[in-house]
Amino acid sequence: MTEPTAPLLELRNVHAAYGRIEVLHGIDLVVPRGQVVALLGPNGAGKTTTLLVATGQHPASQGCVHVGGRHVNGVKPDELARLGLCTIPEGRGVFRSLTVRENLVMASYRGLPADQIIESAVARFPRLGERIGQVAGTLSGGEQQMLAMARGLATDPGLLIIDELSMGLAPLIVAELYEIVAGIATEGVSILVVEQFARTVLGVADHAVIMQHGHVVAAGPPADLEAELSAAYLGAST
Amino acid sequence: MTDPTATHAPSAADRLELGVEDLHVPEPSADAEGLLLKLGLILPILGVVLILAAYWTSSGSKYVADQIPMLISGGILGLGLAVIGVGLFLRFSLARLLRFWLARMVVEQQAQTDRVVDALARIEAKLEK
Repeated sequence: MTEPTAPLLELRNVHAAYGRIEVLHGIDLVVPRGQVVALLGPNGAGKTTTLLVATGQHPASQGCVHVGGRHVNGVKPDELARLGLCTIPEGRGVFRSLTVRENLVMASYRGLPADQIIESAVARFPRLGERIGQVAGTLSGGEQQMLAMARGLATDPGLLIIDELSMGLAPLIVAELYEIVAGIATEGVSILVVEQFARTVLGVADHAVIMQHGHVVAAGPPADLEAELSAAYLGAST
Repeated sequence: MTDPTATHAPSAADRLELGVEDLHVPEPSADAEGLLLKLGLILPILGVVLILAAYWTSSGSKYVADQIPMLISGGILGLGLAVIGVGLFLRFSLARLLRFWLARMVVEQQAQTDRVVDALARIEAKLEK
């Protein structure tokens, strides 16, 4: 049953394990409509596993995942993707041997015409227009990330989940990409950004959640989390 | 002035919520595949035990009329369990093997593509010199 004014994505006391090793120990996370939420934490904190559970790619051993107020544990990831829950995975997930155009056409699974998808992608990322016939594997890291974002946005997602946007990219490119993320958020798309390098994402996030060793150690507006961030990354006591 | 008859197109978030409402959410099952694979190992063992028990009890009787029910209840049931168990084991172990094989193919294909892209980049760099 859908709850009125329910957040678009909510994880309640989620536990998850790989085999017998539990890596998430009761995660609570809320992504309200139209907001950008940053999920932060050092390497091995469980951020990507949280994302995998949220998108149905990994089962929760305990707890509930809610999308639009409805319990969706066990729903297949492709069904959620078809409904508008779009994930841009770590490492971008572009088809490296296909051209930019062919990569964009791959996003036509929600029934949008290919021409419309390419047109909107090029309007948002003009640099992709210059490289439309180029093989994706030969693009720079930033351009590949733009292609992944363009492909995700072409599906008109209700919720966009981005894993490690900054991975392997120069700080200037990361700043440019986060400006684009901020622009997308102003269009009313809810965004969950999983990020190891916290400072840049905090500039665009409405809310941040810090994870450590499979637990949420702090959550709140970015401005209130400075001390917790240092503690999480540097191991200092707060 | 706003046209009262005008209808607002639902946003992507609305469409996501509406779509989720219509979803069929499966009942939670704790690793059904692993459970069925284990069942595929246990059932044949149980089947063989039943067949042996049927043989042992029927061989101890001199009368065919007594032997037939024992063979039917033990032998056929045992055989049935063994066949079902072997079927389950093959189904799920093959599925795991094929999944692994597919994942391996994807990774190898990706590595191959990376090598080709690197080689092209090197050739391009040399041509530019």
